[in-house]
Amino acid sequence: MTTTKTETTKTTPTGIAKIPYYPGCTLKTTAKNFENSAIATARALGIELLEIPRWNCCGTVFSLADDDLIHHVASVRNFVRVQEMNDYGLVKNENRLVTLCAMCFNTLKSTNLRMKNNAEDLSKINDLMYREEDYQGKVEVLHFLELLKSLGFEKIRDRVKKPLKGLKIAPYYGCMILRPQEIGIDDPEDPTIQKDLLESLGADPIDTPYKRVCCGSYQTVKEKNIVAELAYDILSHAQKEGAEALATVCPLCAFNLDNRQKEVKAAHPDFEEIPIFYVTQLMAIAFGLGNEFYGFDQNYIDPRPLLKKKALIEQ
Amino acid sequence: MADNKSPIMERIAEANKAATTGIDAKDIKNWITIYIMGKAYKVPADLTILAGMEYAGYKFVRGVGCRQGFCGACATVFRKKGDYKLQTGMACQTRAEDGMYLVQIPFTPAETADYDITKEPYEASVFIKYYPEVARCVSCNTCTKACPQDLEVMDYVQDAIRGDFDGLADVSFDCIQCGLCAMRCPAEIVQYNVAQLGRRMYGRYGQGVPDHLRKRVKEINEGTFNEEMAKITACPVEELRQIYTEREKEPE
Amino acid sequence: MPELTYIEGYPEDMRKEIEKVAKTREKRLDYTPPAMTMKQRDEVLTVHPDYAPGGKREISVGPNKGDNAPNEVADLLEAYPLVEKDEIDLSQVDYNPDILIIGGGLAGTTAALWAHDSGIATENILLTNKLRHGDANSIMAEGGTQAADRDIDSVVKHYIDTIGGGHFTNKPDVVRALVEDAPLIMKWLCELGAIFDREENGDLAEKLAGGISVKRMHSCRDYTGLEEFRVLRDEFRTRGIPYLEHYPAIELLTEGNRVTGAVLWNIETGDYKIVKAKATIIATGGYGRLHIRGFPTTNHYGATFDGVVLAYRAGAKLRDIDAVQYHPTGAAYPIQIVGYLLTEKLRGSGAQPVNADGEAFVYPLEPRDVEAAAIIRECYVRDKGLTTPTGLRGVWLDTPLIEIKNGKGYIEKAFPGMIRMYKRYDIDIRKDPVLVFPTLHYQNGGLETDPSGKTNVGGLWVAGEVSGGVHGKNRLMGNSTLDCMVFGRRAGMSTAEYVKSHKDASGITLDHLNQYVQKLEEAGVKRTRRAPVILPDYRGKAALARMIDVF
Repeated sequence: MTTTKTETTKTTPTGIAKIPYYPGCTLKTTAKNFENSAIATARALGIELLEIPRWNCCGTVFSLADDDLIHHVASVRNFVRVQEMNDYGLVKNENRLVTLCAMCFNTLKSTNLRMKNNAEDLSKINDLMYREEDYQGKVEVLHFLELLKSLGFEKIRDRVKKPLKGLKIAPYYGCMILRPQEIGIDDPEDPTIQKDLLESLGADPIDTPYKRVCCGSYQTVKEKNIVAELAYDILSHAQKEGAEALATVCPLCAFNLDNRQKEVKAAHPDFEEIPIFYVTQLMAIAFGLGNEFYGFDQNYIDPRPLLKKKALIEQ
Repeated sequence: MADNKSPIMERIAEANKAATTGIDAKDIKNWITIYIMGKAYKVPADLTILAGMEYAGYKFVRGVGCRQGFCGACATVFRKKGDYKLQTGMACQTRAEDGMYLVQIPFTPAETADYDITKEPYEASVFIKYYPEVARCVSCNTCTKACPQDLEVMDYVQDAIRGDFDGLADVSFDCIQCGLCAMRCPAEIVQYNVAQLGRRMYGRYGQGVPDHLRKRVKEINEGTFNEEMAKITACPVEELRQIYTEREKEPE
Repeated sequence: MPELTYIEGYPEDMRKEIEKVAKTREKRLDYTPPAMTMKQRDEVLTVHPDYAPGGKREISVGPNKGDNAPNEVADLLEAYPLVEKDEIDLSQVDYNPDILIIGGGLAGTTAALWAHDSGIATENILLTNKLRHGDANSIMAEGGTQAADRDIDSVVKHYIDTIGGGHFTNKPDVVRALVEDAPLIMKWLCELGAIFDREENGDLAEKLAGGISVKRMHSCRDYTGLEEFRVLRDEFRTRGIPYLEHYPAIELLTEGNRVTGAVLWNIETGDYKIVKAKATIIATGGYGRLHIRGFPTTNHYGATFDGVVLAYRAGAKLRDIDAVQYHPTGAAYPIQIVGYLLTEKLRGSGAQPVNADGEAFVYPLEPRDVEAAAIIRECYVRDKGLTTPTGLRGVWLDTPLIEIKNGKGYIEKAFPGMIRMYKRYDIDIRKDPVLVFPTLHYQNGGLETDPSGKTNVGGLWVAGEVSGGVHGKNRLMGNSTLDCMVFGRRAGMSTAEYVKSHKDASGITLDHLNQYVQKLEEAGVKRTRRAPVILPDYRGKAALARMIDVF
């Protein structure tokens, strides 16, 4: 098997490139709108995100302990599935594995890095999974944003049918796609990848220093109010800079920024609610893909009034 | 009844003796040694573990049920001679082999959650609500390795986590609830309980009651068949016989 | 036994025989032997174990004195109790439910759920099991459940098929209840979340079976009983209805002509419990483990006729107890699975019985007794069967035909249990036929009831295989799981009504037992046999011969 080059995306005669895609549990439940909009926009760009068969949980949260190998098995098993997709001809020489969820991305890529850099760990895990074929260490974990960047934002601009003109969006990155640096997809101090994407969609990106501040992550389960305070900082600063909405690629960030606005409002009665988008929802709108791909019903703060005001969706 | 015998029946009974009355050593030529909870017993070759234990003198009151692989009562763990792997199987379905060390696991401590499926939303959250430990799955696949039905147990646990009821129902359908997966799981998930809840959710919400069935129940409740039924139940046997013989058969 | 060479699960000489089957397969694709006429049926039935001489005798005591019964059944009716009156202390009542249900298969569990639905509080119900809750023939039912729920079908057609299959000996009022409730039971199961095989459009997928004129067999792959039961048990458990396990009933308690509870025996520790109940439902199943006429059986380890023995002593009437059902296709090879069930659905899906010469010799979907007799005739009269290395005889069931008729992959989807069972012995039923011979399957007759499940004895209801009448002398496939649920439900509702209007039983006695023992003595029955049997004994003869009972 030859290693694939990632710069060029191979396409089949019909013009559709098939790339293995790892959804993750959240994308199948509370972030279904993220998945639907991403798959549809990818297809509009000539890419089929092919869900890997029999995928399992990524292992959520990369274990940092040296001797805790068992927690990496979950990720590695998914890499074996990508190998199988190649073996069974579902994809051709395609070692890239695309993820949407930032948390899955972080876990999968961190594990992959450890496997690539540590032959002994890889061999132990392969031995434990004796019923599976060995993981060869060749999979490359990619976030969807990276895939878009590799296509070139020009190509995305070409596909836009309804530019998001006048829509002031503050990109929010969180931690999982930026840190640690060796797996991050952009400058961890000053990321721009979402800004570039939003510009190609015709929107007005709003920069705020809070774009890389932690959203509170899993504290949201037990410490709602701490998370609400963090969300308040992030949201109100964006609003101060003129943002009308925020964009993200992380379901957990989205939950904390979106659903926790209930607690934010309770603590800060003056706070004005603000919609949170998955960046792929904004792409789907700009591509004019139609309501069935937007999934606004799953957004806590309904973005439709804003979109109507901007004449981006119909009344 | 000495004058009233059926030679055919006697030949059949004789041929089946080993399966009906216990095995007689004089009929056996090949022997093996198995270790039941560490104790060596010489038993006939070509028996299941269950039959081997019975031959050795065990009369089961636990760890046995249907004897045909449906009920999951006779879960057994064993190691074969020269093999480090701890293996699992149903005693009634697994051939006893020479040098096998074995012990039965006749019971799995596990609680069924207290739910009412008519009141639950058809969503993945139902699993987290009643069996939150599913989220502890590390995908080690030990459950799958333990399954005597060769089910992809880990796959259906993963289906549960992501709310794929259809997938869970399909993969877990042949589960006999023997409990071996749960006994081996390092995350202490009770897989078969998770599957039971998931399958019922799929049956009720994913499949539901089809229209033709609803319609027929309504007809019966409205008495659509009462008259015809009253007539047929009062029918003399001779007439019934004729109706039966002349009835039309739907082609295959 | 000489060492044998096996090729894909079969010894060399059987492998050669299989070639004959393969050779005629294509010819048989378009050929099905014609169904027998009534006269031909009568003729072949002379070699059926029920009709062959020497298998039966008259019962000498009790309500059915003078009726014919298989020797093994008569033996148990003419047996002395395990305990006699003075050995049991009845002064301390351990449980006092309104409704006691003995036996937790499909029938007993359904009864509990419907008693609860009819307003009986969970704590006033008690379900007891000989082994675990669900250790029953119910979960082993592979093929299906009948219900006339398609437009072209009707409950009347279901009635006619059932009565005809039973040789017109069925009790009409209970058959009517069976067929009229069937669609309701199906709907109930769907609502509780049982997963049935479906058509593409979501309709229930339905098939033909022996003696059935319209496709009305509903299945859940080949785990129908298992799926139905585990759904009901899950519902039972989530409702928190009390149950006991490893506590078989060893005697009923009575007051006059009314059953007022039972003595339960802890099968592990040997101690007993006294249950006093307003109403008792017996749902203990059948008698396969009596190995009538020396046949192997498809039945559960605990299928030993206990419920009938207990109720008969208390005065309950039997009917059709002479009629035993042998399933035409039990496994005959390999030895580890002899007698195990090969579901009728295999024949319903196209598998043909084929003799040693590779000929299809019988219409594959005759009623069970006729089909079984035809296979016995082929093996033992016409000598066209095959002999296994251990001396068993059988004919082929040509399973590869199923995939030729229904397409590749069909067997894996529809018969995962069968594939699995044979795979353990290296046999692939998709490629090779399997050897079959009739096996003891079902107790056709039993305790007589009215349509509510009530017996002639006060306070006593029955449901499921333990009862008699609904199947007459021969049960059709798909009517047993149905029987369990229809009459389980009716018994549950009927007892619920009864206990609401009846006061607590005042007395619990074993007086009926004394009277029965007296009758046994008068009939000159020797004190060598005791019943109920509870469990059969398969211990090796050598181990038994040197056993000392110390504890």
